[in-house]
Amino acid sequence: MPAARTERCPLCALEFDASGQGCRPSCPMSSGCRVVCCPSCGYSFPQETGLAGGLRRLIDRFHKGRAEHP
Amino acid sequence: MTPAQAAARHEGDLDRKQVVAAQRAVILVGNPNVGKSVLFGALTGKYVTVSNYPGTTVEVTRGSATIEGCPWHVMDTPGTNNLLPMSEDEQVTRDILLKERGYVALQVCDAKNLRRGLLLSVQLAEAGVPFVLALNMADEAASRGIRIDVEKLSRALGVDVVSTVAVQRQGLPALQARLGEARASSFRPRYDEAIEAAIAEVAPLMPAGGGIGSRALALMALVGDESLRAHLAAHLSIPDLARVDEVRRRLAARYPESLRFVVARQRLAAVDRLDEAVLTVGTRSAASSFARRLGGWSTDRLWGIPIFALVLFAAYEFVGVFGAKTAVDFLENAVFKDHLVPWLDAATRFAVPAGRVQEFLVGPPGVPYLDHGGLLVGRYGLFSMGLSYGVAIVLPIVTTFFIAFSVLEDSGYLPRLAVMVNKAFKRMGLNGKAVLPMVLGLGCDTMATMTARIMETRKERVIVTLLLALAVPCSAQIAVILAMVAGLSLAAMLWFFLPLLAVLFLVGWLAAKVLPGRGSDFLLELPPLRVPQASNIAVKTLARIEWYLREALPLFVLGTLILWVLDRFGGLAVLERVTAPVVVGLLQLPREASAAFILGFLRRDYAAAGLFRHFEPFMQAGTMTKPMEIQVVVALVTITLFIPCIANFFMILKERGWRTGVGILAFILPFSFGVGALLNVLMRRFY
Repeated sequence: MPAARTERCPLCALEFDASGQGCRPSCPMSSGCRVVCCPSCGYSFPQETGLAGGLRRLIDRFHKGRAEHP
Repeated sequence: MTPAQAAARHEGDLDRKQVVAAQRAVILVGNPNVGKSVLFGALTGKYVTVSNYPGTTVEVTRGSATIEGCPWHVMDTPGTNNLLPMSEDEQVTRDILLKERGYVALQVCDAKNLRRGLLLSVQLAEAGVPFVLALNMADEAASRGIRIDVEKLSRALGVDVVSTVAVQRQGLPALQARLGEARASSFRPRYDEAIEAAIAEVAPLMPAGGGIGSRALALMALVGDESLRAHLAAHLSIPDLARVDEVRRRLAARYPESLRFVVARQRLAAVDRLDEAVLTVGTRSAASSFARRLGGWSTDRLWGIPIFALVLFAAYEFVGVFGAKTAVDFLENAVFKDHLVPWLDAATRFAVPAGRVQEFLVGPPGVPYLDHGGLLVGRYGLFSMGLSYGVAIVLPIVTTFFIAFSVLEDSGYLPRLAVMVNKAFKRMGLNGKAVLPMVLGLGCDTMATMTARIMETRKERVIVTLLLALAVPCSAQIAVILAMVAGLSLAAMLWFFLPLLAVLFLVGWLAAKVLPGRGSDFLLELPPLRVPQASNIAVKTLARIEWYLREALPLFVLGTLILWVLDRFGGLAVLERVTAPVVVGLLQLPREASAAFILGFLRRDYAAAGLFRHFEPFMQAGTMTKPMEIQVVVALVTITLFIPCIANFFMILKERGWRTGVGILAFILPFSFGVGALLNVLMRRFY
């Protein structure tokens, strides 16, 4: 199941809580799947966890550091 | 009936000890996920009741609050983007606003997405509902450089506007103070003359005394809101109903698009002007106004097509030429063939003593690995074929495709592509709603099959599922297809794309003929076009690669294992002989293509990767002959139309049932080979 956090739909730009927006149990590959579905338009995209999540945190930290010490 | 009386009437559902009867009532409305429930909790505390709205399975939460010393009844409603309902949830919200009396509304809007919120504000204004607008998540909006001129917005709408951060209760006292003085907005979007005249004719006929005013009801009736039909039938005389229908028919005849679409577009234009006047994002510049113009061109019927062609060409150059030629060549030859495979071969021979086990794993010594059947390193070796296909051939191609796809997403072009496809679908006569699963299918057909639930009738769902399984290639397959067509001449490319489009249109057109009833509209909010951020592209691509590796690599290894077993026990030769009349005789493809079709059931990109490897040396050397090009085109068309991958097939069975699933399979299998055979004959004659 996707991690509970705010996601932004790349198609319609809606921001939503990803908990409960994962693959339906009917999907044969839903176990451990990190793909979330936008509650507004149904667009599906993988959540940024694992390596991608790590890279996102690194980039955010870099931007934050640059903003604090320009 | 006031909401308080309604609460008392549904006594079985609501606990009277918890909901205090109150003279004043506030109804919370807003788009989904804007923090309505948090604000509801902050207003009411813990004493709330949850019950289904009568006649539906949609839950509505009620509670009590003391605001400025007075008891209030508070009702939360399901998130909605529109007072013209597109779903049961949205209908419940509209019905609550329609049927309750004497309430004020508290519209909760995500300050980060003001445009979406204003679209609802404008409809509340048209409905004559007294309301206060809460710009929630104001802190997050500020941190993103979004500044909203609250005073100006309040003056333009003619209602109180309060910035809030519901989770921190910021702005709550100001909001509570304004609720008692909530008033109907003076803002009215102006429609074109014909629509305004029709509203003026129909509005006096609308039932009075409800929670929604006559102008908004007239608009709902004019655009043909079926969910309002029962309400109108209960309150209007038969001649008045007939007059409304007559005005609606007359108005609809003036526009090529549906009235719902025309009204939504004109209302959105008014919202855009308002949004533009009160919103500042960072530094608005000439660049952002160019982006708005470019956004308009990208959905324009004249400019949209060349822009789409340009996007497609750029994607083709990046994925088909750079990804499939340069990156694949490096990984497959320099990394796998020259280093990794010999290293694993040597390491295994070093670790495992010479004998049957060593031979079983990496084949007899001194024999090239493509000529023996070792389990790890061999013709169908798990490493030399399974991982090599997955990592050296498909991975660089899908990685470049994912980068291109993320750029399209991040730039805001993807929803515009959906609008373009919608126009093409409308010409086909297909339902506008079918666009979304089709566009999603370009990402993953399995997910898109699930999304086909949004279609209204079972027949529509079956048709969309069939089109997805038949003619819409998923992202990984598109990537390999782009790689393959990059090695072909322009004429051969057209021979590939045109039959696929013809099949899609022909099946879609036939489906539209078979489908009963009218089509529904496709409404999608278009985010602004923007320059993609490199960091976003990197993170999104990495997330997709992780997902792809987790999903695809195990299937690649499984597929290779099946081939290895078949090869080891002679099954592959038998299968090639059995399928030869079709594969070699009918389609005139090399015998080895049989294996590609078997793998195609596991993953279609795996099948295409098999073909890619077969023709790759000729493509790289630029020595593709005409018969070879015909073989590539015929094989690609057949595999694209071929039965869906195993995950999609299971999803079809789950969603549509065994009979439909097997029926779709029974249609697709002979159909794909039939189209392939016909194309082969035509190409050999005319190409």
